[in-house]
Parts: sequence; structure tokens; C-alpha cells
Amino acid sequence: MDLASVSADLAALRQRALAAVADADDLKELEAAETAFVGRKQGALTAVLRGIGALPAEDRPRVGAIANEVREAVEEAIAERRARLAAIALEVRLAAERVDVTLPGRPLRRGSLHPLVETTREIARIFGQFGFVVYESPEVETDSLNFQALNIPADHPARDLWDTLYVDAPTNDGDRLLLRTHTSPGQMRVMRQTRPPIRALLPGRCFRHEAVDASHGFEFFQVEGLMVDEGTTMAHLRGLLDEFAHALFGAGRPTRFRPGYYPFTEPSVAFDIQCVVCDGGGCPACGRSGWMTILGAGMVHPVVLRNGGIDPEVYQGFAFGMGIDRIAMLRYGINDIRYFLENDARFLEQF
Amino acid sequence: MRVPLSWLREYVDVDLSPEALAERLTLLGMEVKGIERRGDDWRDVVVGELLAVEPHPNADRLSLTRVRVDGGGGVLSIVCGATNIAPGQRVPVALPGAMLPGERRIERTTKMGVVSEGMLCSGDELRLTTDAEGILILPAGTPLGARLADVYGDVVLDVDVKPNRGDALSLLGLAREVAAATGAMVRWPAIDVAESGDEAASHLVVEVEDPALCPRFVGRWMDGVAIGPSPLDVQLRLMAAGMRPISNVVDASNYVMLELGKPIHTFDAAAVAGGRLIVRHARAGERLETLDHVVRELTTDTLLIADRTGPLAIAGVMGGAASEVGEGTTAIVIESAIFDPVSIRRTGQRYGLRSEASLRFEKGQEHRLARLGADRTAQLIAAWAGGRVARGVVDTDPVEPPPRRVPFRPSRVGRLLGVDVTADEQQALLARVGIATEGAVAGDLVPIARSSDLMALDAVSAAAALVAIVPGHRRDIAIETDLIEEVARVRGYETIPGERPASSMPGYRPDPRRGLDDLRELLAGRGLDEVVTHALIGPEDHGRLGLAADDPATIRVANPVSLEHSQLRRSLLPGLLRVLIENEHQRRHDVALFEVGSIHRFRDGAPVESLVLGILLAGDWVPGAWDQAARGAEMADVVGLLAWLVDRAGAGRLVAETTASLPTVEHPGRTALLRLVSSGAEVGRAGELDPRLLAAVDARASRAAFATVDVAALLGAVPAVRRLVPLARVPAVERDLAVVVGDDVPAGAVEAVIRDAAGPMLRDVRLFDRYRGAPLGAEESSLAYRLRLQAGRTLTDAEIEAIVAGVVTALGERLGARLRS
Ligand SMILES: [Zn+2]
Repeated sequence: MDLASVSADLAALRQRALAAVADADDLKELEAAETAFVGRKQGALTAVLRGIGALPAEDRPRVGAIANEVREAVEEAIAERRARLAAIALEVRLAAERVDVTLPGRPLRRGSLHPLVETTREIARIFGQFGFVVYESPEVETDSLNFQALNIPADHPARDLWDTLYVDAPTNDGDRLLLRTHTSPGQMRVMRQTRPPIRALLPGRCFRHEAVDASHGFEFFQVEGLMVDEGTTMAHLRGLLDEFAHALFGAGRPTRFRPGYYPFTEPSVAFDIQCVVCDGGGCPACGRSGWMTILGAGMVHPVVLRNGGIDPEVYQGFAFGMGIDRIAMLRYGINDIRYFLENDARFLEQF
Repeated sequence: MRVPLSWLREYVDVDLSPEALAERLTLLGMEVKGIERRGDDWRDVVVGELLAVEPHPNADRLSLTRVRVDGGGGVLSIVCGATNIAPGQRVPVALPGAMLPGERRIERTTKMGVVSEGMLCSGDELRLTTDAEGILILPAGTPLGARLADVYGDVVLDVDVKPNRGDALSLLGLAREVAAATGAMVRWPAIDVAESGDEAASHLVVEVEDPALCPRFVGRWMDGVAIGPSPLDVQLRLMAAGMRPISNVVDASNYVMLELGKPIHTFDAAAVAGGRLIVRHARAGERLETLDHVVRELTTDTLLIADRTGPLAIAGVMGGAASEVGEGTTAIVIESAIFDPVSIRRTGQRYGLRSEASLRFEKGQEHRLARLGADRTAQLIAAWAGGRVARGVVDTDPVEPPPRRVPFRPSRVGRLLGVDVTADEQQALLARVGIATEGAVAGDLVPIARSSDLMALDAVSAAAALVAIVPGHRRDIAIETDLIEEVARVRGYETIPGERPASSMPGYRPDPRRGLDDLRELLAGRGLDEVVTHALIGPEDHGRLGLAADDPATIRVANPVSLEHSQLRRSLLPGLLRVLIENEHQRRHDVALFEVGSIHRFRDGAPVESLVLGILLAGDWVPGAWDQAARGAEMADVVGLLAWLVDRAGAGRLVAETTASLPTVEHPGRTALLRLVSSGAEVGRAGELDPRLLAAVDARASRAAFATVDVAALLGAVPAVRRLVPLARVPAVERDLAVVVGDDVPAGAVEAVIRDAAGPMLRDVRLFDRYRGAPLGAEESSLAYRLRLQAGRTLTDAEIEAIVAGVVTALGERLGARLRS
């Protein structure tokens, strides 16, 4: 063994290694070549270097330098080849992964929130901006809270305004249980549990003995509002209702304030907006009047304040009540109240 | 109240168009719900004169008429089947091409070989009267050739009179309102009775046993009356106002009721034994055949008009058949009485008889109307039916009470309305509705909340106060606020400007619906549809849940709209199932529904309401797609959904526990109890429905997953304030563990033991595989869990192995589980 033959061996090794690297068609072959030629343990180059000990000492650095040069050249070739193979593999993968990008995505269930509940929330949001806070009150009420405390004594002709569903249960001291006919008894509950200033909102389900048609049901939903303070006036009621109507039906929509009748308010108010169907021109939806009534309101009757434990000489306030069903119908252009409780998927999926 | 404008104009001038008048009345609180134009549906119907009426040459039952239909020479030949026609009569003629109500078109036709150039009309065909038999014979002076609509057309306003304004349930009452709106004067009809002969008192005695229930009774007596139809214009007015003409005497009492608002009753005097009327309570066992020919058992709280032989009428509600004015009647008694409103209301409700008359009595009657009504009725009967009115009246309370005086403070008007109205203007506004005012004096009592809730004025406040002198018809005005409303009403609500309140704000109060809305948003975000179903369901619905029809805890409605909506729901499931079925009918089989609503029951005799979340999944839960198979909803879907929901809501971990299922409602092998780990509270149930329940409601689906959750228990477990658990610096360690357990060991128990034995380093445990089959025993399964361990520092291998070994030991000792090798 001499310098010349070792040099020749290294040169041949270099050629074979570069050829093997160049021939490697995939990572596996490339790794096999790497192991075979420049592997630390069994590689051919390592084998050559193991034989260096047999050379004269003065030749060893020279051979070492050549061997390093071969290693670097082969490793460089391997790195290049590896990068090239990776690029090819990526190209192949990307080509294979081509899809019809116009295929529909994997479906998710849509889900929906019911328009009655969402309308209730929207109403609460609007009045919430004016400091009204939400209270809750029960669906099963007593005659005394639903009627008597609200200035509707037994056998009063005004009871004809509410066809009542009574609970089949013995009366308690003459007080009958009933399904609340309106959310107004909530006024009494709020007044009895808190002191003015009061700004309360009471949403809920109500019941009346009514035949079902496109605009009536025996179950429906209302929101009651109550504001009581020392200087709360009818002008404030008007101002707030205007804000509400504009928030819900558009800023420019004209409103109308006219006398109504409720035993628990005085003066009582009917609040109209210009018809959302014909914009005031007159159509069947508004009875050709150009106006639609959206809620009833009024200044809280002094008897009601007294019954709520509030002195009508010091405090005054207003209350309003609106049918959520009706508001939702106007808002979404729903023409049949029965849709709300039927829950047809074709209806729900529009919300 | 239907108000024919032609009739209204007798009492007040109206220069406005019907639309403008309707708006003015509406803005005054007399809401006009509709405007009907009578005669609008007549086209080419004119007034004609019969020249000849001859037999039809080819038909016995028909006549051939010749009719002149204009002032010139236009004469038509018309075939007619009616028998009440004669030459010289004026009749309505529908010309060829005419249109009658109901889109009925009249053409030139040939009837039994004779040409008929139009049609003679009955009152019924024109919807003017109810007579369909004869041709409508018009008064002789009706202008020949005129369009019938010009002569008999009218505009009728439908006015919604509120329950507190019984005084406006009359043409005169509404004329007063028109006058208040326009400033016109009200013209009362000239009420004067030509009396003759002997005294009414010699024919009639009235005895009132309880004057509290009948404060005034005015009677008149007439004889020589000839019963027949009323004059045509009277019939037309009654028809336009919505009342059926009956006979001249009955029509007169209805006319007075509509004109004055005073219900009147007339008796055949021959049926009043001894000419003695007694107003008294019914006695036990008494009965009466009322005008509708129903024999009614009378209860002893029923107020009657009786004679000495027995009941004649239910006072204020309905007359009796035996004393009804009919064809043979010649002498009559006119009753114009005032009854206690509550008594009339209760009686009307008891017998299911609410009439135009009783509705007016219920609202209270002005004292003086009793006499005016009796006089006006006698006057009209004498004019329409002839006869003689006996002298004088029988009157149990002829002295009119003084008008009510209501002291009030004009300063309160501005305070309540938020707009300044001077005392002078208030006086002027009140004068427009007939309320006079004068100065108050110290000591005058202002009624605050009710007429008995009085506040005395001192000298200073009296100087600025007024006293309203309220006319008798305004029974609704009793307290100060009534006058404030009256001022606002007459001035016009539109004069009140809108202002935003500047007063103080209430304190913060958490929105009780906030947590609820979070749940709703989460569920909708997961693809569920929110529904709202009936709170009232039927005994059949409850029966399917195993609740007997007479279950004492069920809240039942005493007067339900229908049996299927007669009980307050005790579960949301029946409503959700109904939605499923309705949607299946629309071929929408994949439903994922939730509802948040109240359920109700009696507990210790008191109603209890609780808020519940209900979920129903049926059909495909994972939707199918072009590269994805659909998968139907199962128990694990709803359990996973709820565990996620509870976690997201902030209530921590939810576990499902084995429980006894509700027979035939819940699937016996697929129903779990849901428990919150944090509070230990049971929050609901979840699983699948028993297929028998689905079959019972005719659902197409044979599998449906469900859950019911107590919302208060769930939201109650959400902490008010969330506190962050510090994040560890070092990554967590994961270890997998597969154990074999017998089928009697539920996975929930395995997980519970793992959590317990692993101790505080365990962050999470997840079942990632479940295997049954060889080489395991037949009643064994292998459960593979991934444990996630974490501490504030790096755990050593020894520590990790010790934890795992502890878990394995505990599983072996407590559940007989072994490691899967
Ligand atoms: Zn309209």
C-alpha cells in the first residue's frame, strides 16, 4: 500500500459514490448510498481511512486531506440530491392532490335562533340602552295580581278585554289561579320588590281564551315596560317610544300617539307607527288607515302605584306593553302568527 | 258600535269626509276600526216604478212586469217571481249589466220564453234588509230613475268604544264626541209624547224589592197598537247599525237603545197579570222560557221582572217568550229601567246571554235616560204602530241626583303630561266635553287614586285648584287623573312632545336571561334549531309520559280552548316530538331541536314553575355528503353535546350515570342521569327515547336522542367570577393505559377511579378506544385511556410510573379490572 494506490482508490471511490448518488431515485436509495460510501461505521470511505495507518507517517496528512475532500464532495452531492428528490416528491404529491375545487365543502348543521326569542332580545337591547333592566315573573298568576291590583275588580266590564284561562284549583281566600293574560302583573311584582327609580322590562308568555287564526293564538308573548320616578312624564313616554320605534323600524318612520284604554294606566295611550307595508298610503294590512298599532301604554294609574306601595303624590311613571309576536311579524314580514309555534324547518332556517 | 253617518248627522253636523272624521274620532280615543260604504256594491241599480203587473204567459208562479226606470219614456219588461208587487209601486231595478252584492251580475235573459230586461230586487239581494221573499217596496216619494246608492247608500263607521265609555255606545254619545272634536253643536231629538186617556198608573204598578239592584224603573202603558213592520227608513237604519228589524214595537225599543244608549224592554200588557210588575230575585225552582225559546232554570241570584204568577223576564238580559210583543199584541208596557251593572254582568255570564242591552247595562246608565228612554219609545211606537199613550209614567225614582263634583289641581296636568297647559285652557278644553268648572275652596277633597282616596286642599292649594262639575253621562270621571286624561284627550295627544327622560337611573341588575342566551347561542352554533312550542298540551301528551290524566301535580285549565291544550306541560318532550312529526310530514326527517321553556306542576298545592332546556335529535346528526357517510343521532351525540355545553357555559364537568329509565318513555338501556361534578347536582337526563314512544306519536324515526336539563341547576353552578389556573412551564406527559373490565363495570366508574387514584397531577383523562372480542372473555371489554399528567415542574419517570401503577392497583382492587397485556 502506497500513497499512489490509496489516492487512486479514493478517486475511484469518489466516482462510484457520485454515480450512486446521482442514480438514487428516491430517498431510500439515497440513504443506502450514503451509508455505503460515507457511513461512519461501515462506509467505504471509512474503510479506506482505516487503512491509512499502514502508510508512512509523512503521507498520512496528504491522504487525510484527499479523503476529506472526497467526503465533502460526496456529502455535498447527497445534499443536492436530497433536495432535488424532495422537490420531486413534493411535485408528485401536489400533482396527486389536485381536486375539483368547486366541490362543496363538508356540510355543517346550520342551526337557528327562534325569531320570537330573538325579537324579545332585540327589544331588551334597545330599552337596555335607556337603563331598563329585565325582571321575570311567573306564567301562573293570581287573579289579584293579574287583575285586581291593576285596577280591574271582579265583574268589571273591562274584564271583557281579556278572555281568561283559569286554573282548575280551589280558590285561596277567593283568589283564583289563572294563566296570566298579560305581562302587566309583573309591574306589581317589580314595584313591590324595589323602590323608584324603576326602569324595568318584563318579557314573557301570556295566555288568552281565543280562537286561533292568522293573527291570534291562545298563547302569545309580550314585553312589559315600567318606569317610575318623581318626574317621569307622558312626554318621556312619547320620547322613549319614538326612540324604540325608530330603532326597530327605521329612523324616519313616523309615529302616532293617541288615546287608548287600559284600567291600569291613565292617561292611556295607543302607539302607532306608519304602516310598514304601504308607508302610509293605506292597504289591507293597516285597515287602509296608513297606521299600525304596535303597543299600548300610559301613565301608571294612581291606584296601581298605591297597590305597588308607591305614593302617587310623590312618584309617577309610565308603563307599556307590546305583543312580541306582532312586532316580530312586522319586523320580518310574517303574515301568520301560527308559524311561530309550528316550528316548520322551512321557517326556522330563515332565522 | 256601527255608526251610519246619515243617522249620526241627525244629531250633529259633520262637514268632514268619512276618512277625516274617522281620524278625528280615532285621535280622540274613539277608534274607528273600519269604514263601510253601503251601496258601493250596487252598480246600475235604479229606482223604478211598476206600470203593469201581469201573469207570465208560460208560468203560473211568475209575473211579467213593465217598469219605468227614468223620468222619460224608458220602460223595461221584467219577469218577476215575487207576489208583493202592484202597479204604482216604486221598486229597486237592476238594469241589464248591473252588479249586486256578492259579485252577482244581472243580464238580459229569457225566462220561460219571455225576455226579461233586468231584475226587481229584494231587500236581501241588496243586503239592505233581511227580507228575501218580496221585492223591496220603496216609499212613494223615492225619486224615479235615481241611482239607488244615491238614495239608500250610506257610510258606516265601526267605532271601538272602550269599556269605560258606555255613554258613547249610542249615536247621541258619539255625536257628543264629534262635537268635542269639531266644535259643532249636538242636536237632541225632540222627545215629546202625546198622552191621552187614563193614567198609566191605573194600568200599571211597579214594585221593586231590592232598589240597590234596580235603582230606577220607569214604565209607560199604551194600547191600540197595531203590530207591523217599521217604516222602511227605520229598517234601513237598524240594518246599517247591525240590528235586524223585527216589528214596529220591537224596532222602536232597539232604535232608542242605539239612539240614546238606553236599553228598553216592551211587554205584551195582556201577559202581565193584574198589571203589576215586580222586580225581584228568582226563587228556588223557578224557570222561564226566554225569547230564544230556551227554558231556563233560574238561580236565586237572578234578578227578574215578574208578575204575581211568576217570572216574565230576566231583568236587563232577556225577555220571556210568554210576554213577548207579537202579532196579536194591542196593549204594551214599556220598561225603561236602570239595573245594577255587576248583577247584570253576572247574570249575562251565568246564562251565556250577553246582548246589546246587557252590555250597556253592565257599563252603567245615566239616571235621566230612564225617563227619556221611556218617553222616546212611546213617541216612536205611537208614530210607527199607532195607539194611545196613557197619561204619565210609573217612576220609582224620579229625582235626578246632582252632578258629581271632582276637585282637581290644574298644576298636576303639566306635571303628569310634561307639557304646560294653563288652567284657563284646561277649563276651555273640559267645557268642550260638557264639564263645567269653578274655583275650589279650602277643605275641598281631591280624589287621588279612587273616589274614596281623598286629600284635603289647604287654602294655598285651593286657590289654584278647580272643581269639575261632571255631567251625568260621564260615569268614568271620578278622580283627579280622570280629568287630566280628559284634558290631554281633548287637547290631542299629538300636542305632547317626545322627550328623553333625564331622571336618575336604577342600580345595576344582572340580566336574568344572560346565561340562558349564552346556552342558546352555543346550541344554535352547534347546529341545533331553537323552537318555541305550546305551554298548554293535552292529557294524551302527558299520558304518553306516564302521567295519568288526573295526576294531582298536573296544572289543568278549568276552561280550556280544547282538550289538547288543557294542561300546563310538565315536560318539553311532547312539544319537541310534535315538531319532529310536523317536520317529518314535510319530509324533513333530520331534526336537531332545542327549546328553553317553563314546565309547571303543583307542589303542596302551590304552582311551581321551572325553566328547562330540552333537546331532541332525530334522523342524521352528522349530515351526509359526497365523501362522507351520514350518521344518525345516538345517545353519545347528545351526551357529548351536553358535556361540551356545560363546560363552555362555565359549569365544569358533566358526568352521565346509570339510572332506571322511565318505562315506555326512555330507552331502557340508553338513558343516563346527568350530574354536575362541581356542585354534585343532578341537572337532567339524556339518552334515547323508547321506540314505543316514537311509534305512539306516529313518528317515522325509530331512534331519537333526547336530553332535558334543569336550567337553574346548570346556571347555578356557573361561578360568578372565573379564576385562571396558572399555566405550567413544562409540557404535560401522556400515558396510555388499557384495562379489561367485566360488563358490570360502567366506563363512568372506571374513569372515576382513574381520576381519584391519579391524584392532583392528572389534568385530563380520555377514553380513546373500546374493544370487545377475542381474546377477551364474552362479557368483558377493554377500555384504553390516555392520561395527561402535569405538575408545575418536570415529572420524573419514577413519579409517572408510580402514578400509573397506583391507578392500575386501584382499578384492580375496586373494580376487578386488569391491565390488558
Ligand atoms: Zn298599510
